Amino acid sequence: MIELKNVTKTFDGFRALDGLSLTVPTGGIYGLVGPNGSGKSTAIRHITGIYRQDEGDVLIDGQNVYENTDIKRRVAYISDDVYAFLSASVKDMKDFYRGIYPQFDLKRFEAMKEAFPIDEKKAIRHLSKGMQKQAAFWLAMCCRPDYLILDEPVDGLDPVMRRRVWSIIMGDVADHGTTVLVSSHNLRELEDVCDHVGIINHGKVLIERSLSELQDNMVKAQVVFEGERPDLSSLNILHQSAVGRIETLIIKGSQEEITAKMSALRPLFFDLLPLTLEEIFIYELGGDEYELKDVVL
Amino acid sequence: MISLNYRDPRPMYEQIKDSFIKLILSGGIGAEERLPSVRELASQLAINPNTIQRAYRELEQEGYIYTVAGKGSFASQDKEAQNMKVKQLLEEFDALAQRLISYGVDIESLISRLRKGEEEQ
Repeated sequence: MIELKNVTKTFDGFRALDGLSLTVPTGGIYGLVGPNGSGKSTAIRHITGIYRQDEGDVLIDGQNVYENTDIKRRVAYISDDVYAFLSASVKDMKDFYRGIYPQFDLKRFEAMKEAFPIDEKKAIRHLSKGMQKQAAFWLAMCCRPDYLILDEPVDGLDPVMRRRVWSIIMGDVADHGTTVLVSSHNLRELEDVCDHVGIINHGKVLIERSLSELQDNMVKAQVVFEGERPDLSSLNILHQSAVGRIETLIIKGSQEEITAKMSALRPLFFDLLPLTLEEIFIYELGGDEYELKDVVL
Repeated sequence: MISLNYRDPRPMYEQIKDSFIKLILSGGIGAEERLPSVRELASQLAINPNTIQRAYRELEQEGYIYTVAGKGSFASQDKEAQNMKVKQLLEEFDALAQRLISYGVDIESLISRLRKGEEEQ
């Protein structure tokens, strides 16, 4: 289990993390989402023990992470910008990783050659951006980590490779109960893989919930009323817009509850649609001065 | 065996569940036949294993499949449970037909519609 409790971090007077708390359950796949500059990568660099927090606790399996080699050798991390030593090839990095990760799986390394079409003798720095990401995955998956921390992992990978990478990760989760924390802006993709989601803004977690709970608790309703619009104050409406007579409402609550209340109002037309993670993201942050504004250029 | 439609608004576990129900009822998966393991399906579809687990759990509750510890999940022989789904869908069909009739659609045109649907299949 990964736990961040009230973590704060200030850089040059800028409060990057402002009392951030999150919990990633063991064996879960946790999606960390938030606008640019909200503190995702900073949070991740605390979990991987790169930064030391000013206040609060950063714990993996109940132990402090910072300068804790016993914990860190069970954590593999793929950063948004892949780092390799000057002129080091995948082969060199493999030897380096073997010295650090006791669980490093050489058999797997050989087996994965087929999955990643990379010349293992070529300097990683001379590979393309996407190839560098692939190399990082190859190495990280061979560490057989208990915790896999991914910062914008599939950014730069082609569609086939994205799928291949996710497929390998999902296999590990099913087999070994690997705990995964992933930050991404590709919410469509997170929807397939995550079971928990944390939405973060201004260095704080706004909501943290299991994905099914999140999706079961908010719906999009399209409704047309005959004549005057009845009193809808019994419904917890987050957002509304109208095109002609058709109103689109984002409502908090379960489908059954909303269906019951709506049909009592006798609308001419009424349809409920589940929300995508992308819509939840937009509407949850909507109240937080992050409203989608029509920018006129 | 199973493919997901990303434009389908239904949750993914429901899509998986329905695909298996279709396969089992149509005989695509025979009685006592083993279903792919959670791991196989999770890597094949590149989705969260818990999603597949949930679909399997519900299939088991509804009697379509049964699980043998350490061996996997198998399509059940319990036709009665399977007929439940057909019965439920027929009830929905009846309700829909009633509504159409109340809107003034005559029965003959409904019958010819069904015939046409059958030919197209």
